[in-house]
Amino acid sequence: MSPSLGTILVVDDEPQIHRFLTPALTAANYLPLRAERGDEALRLAAARAPDAILLDLGLPDMDGHLVLAKLREFTDVPVIILSARDREAEKIQALDAGADDYVEKPFALGELLARIRTALRHRLRQDNAEKPLTLGGLTIDPVSHKVTLDNIVLPLTKREHALLLLLARNRGRVLTHRQILTALWGPAHTEDVAYLRVYIGQLRRKLGPEPAALIITEPGIGYRLQDGE
Amino acid sequence: MMRDSRPDPDALLAGLHRETRGRLKIFLGAAPGVGKTWEMLVAANHKRQAGIDVVAGLIETHGRVETIEEIGELEVLPRSKIPYRGQTLEEFDLDAALARKPALLLVDELAHTNAPGLRHAKRWQDVREILDAGIDVWTTVNIQHLESLNDPVARITGVRVAETIPDTVLDLADEIELVDLPPAELRARLEEGKIYRKDVASRALGEFFREGNLGALREMALRRVAQRVDKDVTRYMRAQAIPGPWPASERVLALIGADASADNVVRHAARLADALRAPMVAFHVERQDDNANVQHALDLTVQLGGTVATTTTSDTVTAALNYAAAHNITHIVIGRGTTRPWWRFGGRTMGEVLTRKAAAYTLHFVPVPASPAARVKAASPKPAWQNYAVIAAILAVVTLAGTELRAYIPQEAMGLIFIAVIAGAASRLGRAAGLVTSIAGFLLWNFFFLSPIFTFSVSDPRDVVALVVFLLVGIVTGSLAGRVRLEAENASARIEALRRISLFGQRFSGAATQADVLRGAAAEAAAMTAGGVVMLADKQVLQSPISEPAGTWLDDAALAAADWSLRNNIETGIGTATLPSVPWRFIPLRVGGSPVGILGAKPNGPPPEPLSQTLAALADQTAMALERVRLTINAAQTEARQDSQKLRTALLSSLSHDLRTPLTAIRGAAETLASAGPALDAATTADLLASITEDTGRMTKFLSNIMEMARVETGEINARRENLQLAEIIEAAVARVPGATYAGVNIADDASHVLADAALLEQILVNILDNAVKYAPEGSRIAISARRSGGKIALSISDEGVGIPAEDLPHVFDSFFRATRGDRVAPGTGLGLAIAKAFTEAMGGSIRAQSPRFDLPADGAPGTVITLELPPA
Repeated sequence: MSPSLGTILVVDDEPQIHRFLTPALTAANYLPLRAERGDEALRLAAARAPDAILLDLGLPDMDGHLVLAKLREFTDVPVIILSARDREAEKIQALDAGADDYVEKPFALGELLARIRTALRHRLRQDNAEKPLTLGGLTIDPVSHKVTLDNIVLPLTKREHALLLLLARNRGRVLTHRQILTALWGPAHTEDVAYLRVYIGQLRRKLGPEPAALIITEPGIGYRLQDGE
Repeated sequence: MMRDSRPDPDALLAGLHRETRGRLKIFLGAAPGVGKTWEMLVAANHKRQAGIDVVAGLIETHGRVETIEEIGELEVLPRSKIPYRGQTLEEFDLDAALARKPALLLVDELAHTNAPGLRHAKRWQDVREILDAGIDVWTTVNIQHLESLNDPVARITGVRVAETIPDTVLDLADEIELVDLPPAELRARLEEGKIYRKDVASRALGEFFREGNLGALREMALRRVAQRVDKDVTRYMRAQAIPGPWPASERVLALIGADASADNVVRHAARLADALRAPMVAFHVERQDDNANVQHALDLTVQLGGTVATTTTSDTVTAALNYAAAHNITHIVIGRGTTRPWWRFGGRTMGEVLTRKAAAYTLHFVPVPASPAARVKAASPKPAWQNYAVIAAILAVVTLAGTELRAYIPQEAMGLIFIAVIAGAASRLGRAAGLVTSIAGFLLWNFFFLSPIFTFSVSDPRDVVALVVFLLVGIVTGSLAGRVRLEAENASARIEALRRISLFGQRFSGAATQADVLRGAAAEAAAMTAGGVVMLADKQVLQSPISEPAGTWLDDAALAAADWSLRNNIETGIGTATLPSVPWRFIPLRVGGSPVGILGAKPNGPPPEPLSQTLAALADQTAMALERVRLTINAAQTEARQDSQKLRTALLSSLSHDLRTPLTAIRGAAETLASAGPALDAATTADLLASITEDTGRMTKFLSNIMEMARVETGEINARRENLQLAEIIEAAVARVPGATYAGVNIADDASHVLADAALLEQILVNILDNAVKYAPEGSRIAISARRSGGKIALSISDEGVGIPAEDLPHVFDSFFRATRGDRVAPGTGLGLAIAKAFTEAMGGSIRAQSPRFDLPADGAPGTVITLELPPA
């Protein structure tokens, strides 16, 4: 067996979920840890320092949001929300509170594993913020503010550049409207979603059809730049 | 169920709009000269002394001394001078007022028409602009200036008012204060020259200021304010989404005594209650010497939206304080002590006693009015034969005394004495009595006193003249005195009418249903006339009548008149221009101006004016009560809709959870097998396959539960009740619930058979056992027992599980209810017990839950007992 790709803590009170996730994660070369309660999850997260956490929001002893908030007090480990509740508000709340991503039950196993890979890779990437990013034919230089597509410079405004850079640095992750608006316009504009839509529209137009398709709209939640893996 | 109290957005918006604007207060008067401007100035001076920046923008003193004095130290804006056709008109200076920007601006005479060339045509438009600038405004207006009342005022008074304001201006007001003066008092002021110069005043007295006019105007003003109060309440209820009375922290108690300040006490208490948004109660201790002041004050209380409490006791202070303590009173309003006996307690006034004893309350002392009004005392009518017996007795005494004192009293003087008796009889007992007395007096004088005495013949021709004059004077005096009496009766009828209206309003402010209001209105109409009837309309067609006395029947002509009244929104029937031959009077019930039904009354002959007005007011009040009931019902329906909305949300969330969880597991297991199949060991593969099977079973059960509940809710269950052996059914159910450990099945000999539907009972037991297994730790035991209890079979299923929290116990049989512990709850729909309950009830049984179990040790798991009660076979 090849060496483990990382430790994944699965927090869910449904035994059925562990029943298939444990063998599935093992088969994908991860080391699964199992927690059924919030306090157990916090204890394991502190003691075993997992590389990623899959967190169900409905837990018997405490609210999943509270578990997330407590996790964020001591670790920035990637957290992927597993939720049977398809309520936008809850997902947004979790993402704003520091969750990295979410998948909705019933999820496809392949998609879950891809999200886990993105989350783990994102962890490794954090240091080299000055280096130009490349995505397909797209190169984004954070220092010179230049974006080139197949070596042709795109006429992006400063704001559009900042938006693209933010999405690219978090590629594969969903960013909520609030997170993007706060990062680009400051905390006073967190409700101006229409504003953001206009910028995304302009950015997509300037990028051209192929790179534009990389920017995925998560309806009611935010945007995600597809990871070109 | 939690009540969703989302307020009506429109009402909130209206409230918000009011916040940014200045506040408008209108001093509303029934007629010129009642003292609106004076009252406004008094209040304004209070404000000024309280440090508020008050400026008099414009005050019309009409040269009235009292008013000029009251301006006192108030800052008065200079008027702008407008040249107009060679003369100079003085007008309110709007721009100066806006530039000065005081906190509170007084602008007299709201209905005034501005001189041509000014910014606005009407003064009320100036006021609106000032309000928009955020300045509070106090203003005055008389009721006859209201646009909607223009016609009625012209009809009643014969004077067409040219300067009118739209009714909506009145609605702009945040507060309306009615400046009320009884007509007699107003006329007295007019006569004293306090309102107009004497020569003008005497003309005015005969025209506009006739007592009847003033009474009618005053009634209009009262009604208008009463409507306004009603509107405010309705608006408030809508804004707060509450159907009931306000839960107020402040409560105002007005102590009513038999002195002249009683009305002032009530008004003050009402204003205070209004300002505090608090309910007001007038408290009165009934006594022998109660007079019209008391009744008037209590009526006024009701008109101003308060309630009345009366009691009888000798210890007034204790009674008042007991009442205050029992009803959470915070403020007590009382008249400043007078020498009236009611107020005296061992030489101290009631106020002094209260100051010592009522330390827990805020006390308000109201000054005694300078000139207390004499009030009409209502006389109780006596039967006719009594009246005539009294007349006969008086005439006999007078005649006897006259014959005995013949030597001292000249016969002509006797004639005058008889005239005096006639006048007295007519004024006390009415015109008919006066006529009878004058004829009897004529005969008696002739027979006993004119020579030749003891005959009806007359010897002296001059006596013939005297007799004729006597008869004429007697008849004229009698009928004049009788008319005075009739007017007095009318006045008291009017007061009685007002009292009835206000009582009706009070009674039906609490009416819960439309039927209550309709029955009450019919009864009220019947109490005033020979019969009452109310009919509501549905799409312009009158529905079957509610009548009083029961069985009152309307013939075709009456129905046609009622229909006409509804369709044309006018009064019809007796005493009107439309179908006057019908013995009924029909009045449309108008909500928002359009008729929703009719009120009918059957008077004895064409109704006199006060009765017509009272009936119209009754129709108004009925329509308003109907509207209020409708609003309340709407509120209840909204609540019910929100409840069912909540249920749907619960269903959705249940579906979401209960379908997605097994689906996730099935999909996950299948994909794991597909993608990592070869890498998995045999045990894991087997486990994943088993999990797929199990979760498929879970989903199947979930769906069948949903189907069962759908059957319950569409009423599709037909329980076939047959004689069943309980043991058999239990056995079948136990077989369907795996994973349970049983402590034993214990069926008493006299409880072995029940009358039930085999399939339903089995399903009930399965659901209960499922629940027991779900909520109990592994290895704990379930006990089943049946025994006879009060003519029924009680079947109990006891578990040793986590139990049910006390606050959840009442809800465990509700659809989609699950103890709120995350979505961990063992798989289920929240329907199991709801289905059990529906099935049990369909079989004529009952079901209940109890937790914790009393037979388990207190320190262990609490456990739950579900008990079914079924009829024995």
